[in-house]
Amino acid sequence: MITYLKQTIAKTPVFALFTLVFWCMCGCTSTLTSTQPATQAANSLYDEIGGSKTLNTVFGVAINRIYNDPIIGHYFNGVPKSHLRKQLVSQTCELIGGPCVYEGKAMLDTHKDLNIKEREFYILVEYVQGAMRDVGLTYQQENQILQKLAPIKSETIYL
Amino acid sequence: MFRTQIIAASLCLVSFFSLANSGSRLTATGGITGFEGAAGGGITPWAFISGYGSKEEINGTANVQYLHLNDYTLTTFGASLGIYDRIELSAQRQTLDISSGITSSVFSLLTEGAINTAKSTRIDMDIVTAKVKVLGDGVFDQHSWVPQVAVGAQYKKHRDFDTTLLLPDGTGPLPNQGVARILGAKDDSGTDFFVSATKLYLGHINGFNLLTNLTARYTKANTFGLLGFGSASDDSYKLEWEGTLALLTSPSTVIGVEFRTQTNRLGGLAEEDTVTDAFIAYFPNKSFSLTAAYVDLGNLPMQPSSTGFYLTATANF
Ligand code: HEM
Repeated sequence: MITYLKQTIAKTPVFALFTLVFWCMCGCTSTLTSTQPATQAANSLYDEIGGSKTLNTVFGVAINRIYNDPIIGHYFNGVPKSHLRKQLVSQTCELIGGPCVYEGKAMLDTHKDLNIKEREFYILVEYVQGAMRDVGLTYQQENQILQKLAPIKSETIYL
Repeated sequence: MFRTQIIAASLCLVSFFSLANSGSRLTATGGITGFEGAAGGGITPWAFISGYGSKEEINGTANVQYLHLNDYTLTTFGASLGIYDRIELSAQRQTLDISSGITSSVFSLLTEGAINTAKSTRIDMDIVTAKVKVLGDGVFDQHSWVPQVAVGAQYKKHRDFDTTLLLPDGTGPLPNQGVARILGAKDDSGTDFFVSATKLYLGHINGFNLLTNLTARYTKANTFGLLGFGSASDDSYKLEWEGTLALLTSPSTVIGVEFRTQTNRLGGLAEEDTVTDAFIAYFPNKSFSLTAAYVDLGNLPMQPSSTGFYLTATANF
């Protein structure tokens, strides 16, 4: 009994951490869901990062690098940079609570027949992540933006 | 001595491969190498396939690990192959050094004090693990609750089940009985089967990424198999649970906690407790990771409170 007690106490810090993280997880889930429907809440992620101006810089940087990449650059032959940039800005703006409505093509349609590989998808994601970091978004903002873009993966590769 | 050389050689390997292409998946999504060789946390596999290979790539990892728990020291090394982000194959060698303090106490207990000194000993064990991802994308399926799921089989074989424990004069009063056998284990080998469900929640806690993993393991092992498999009275499989909660606090840092339940089939001296750990892992790039942890194993024979530090280095190529 004594040993058991001793061991339970010894493990308390670890269990406390477990509980704390779980608690945080639930707490954050509920705050997220309660603020999500208000797309244009004053404290949307869109406003926090500096709106379309910041997104425009991020995608400008990312697109330049993507177009120059030896492995994925060729996909974009003949795709005007300014067009793609505009579409990516408005799509992301909409996804993170900004006042935009994406009016470009559906993701499945536009990536169909490109036969993009998973490896190539990851290369593109790393350019977008890198651009967000270089433009000065925080790691947390970067993660939250990636969360919104991530599900598009299945609509871009192996089509 | 031999082991020091292996570790030195592995570290050379680490620096050599840091120049090579290690795969395209995102940093940290290959996990670290657990003490049994499977990719995941330190004490439990995750559903993520080892290394950073995408669906089109085959990549490898190599690791060295060190766990110090007072009179017990576990050194392990091994390698794995991640194939098309679908299959993971790994081989690991574990060496558990047991101090003469422990072996002496065991003899003293068995002989009611007639023998009270014995030499230190070691238990070597080989582990081969195969893991297959069966569904889900634990990193990118952010719109659904479905985790990434993998199933695995882990075969373990003792090399010292029959190694006689020696007294200081070189005699062995219990011929061909290694530690596991003396403590009541039935078999020198066993196969675990496990299912792991893993999910990364991007930007979830205050914008940080949260990783959750739950593993169910079907096993006959006593203390991870280091004390053999099954016992004379109980040779059936039991279901055990393992989990990880981790937070990516920066693009290169992960902190987390883990637990792992054990069957406690042998009881007595070999009583098993739930294992817990708290870890910090550093992923400076996709070639290399370093993990430090504080581990609490609970009881080990003759050492009721076994806590200590754990270090893992994994190289990716
Ligand atoms: C989550 C990842 C991705 C997102 C959010 C995304 C988003 C977009 C958007 C918004 C457009 C513009 C559609 C329009 O013109 O109306 C587009 C077009 C395009 N994307 Fe992606 N994309 C992703 C991944 C990829 C990848 C991995 C590649 C190739 C490596 C790729 C190659 C292209 C190309 C070549 C076009 C131009 C198609 C055309 O105009 O014919 N995309 N993408």
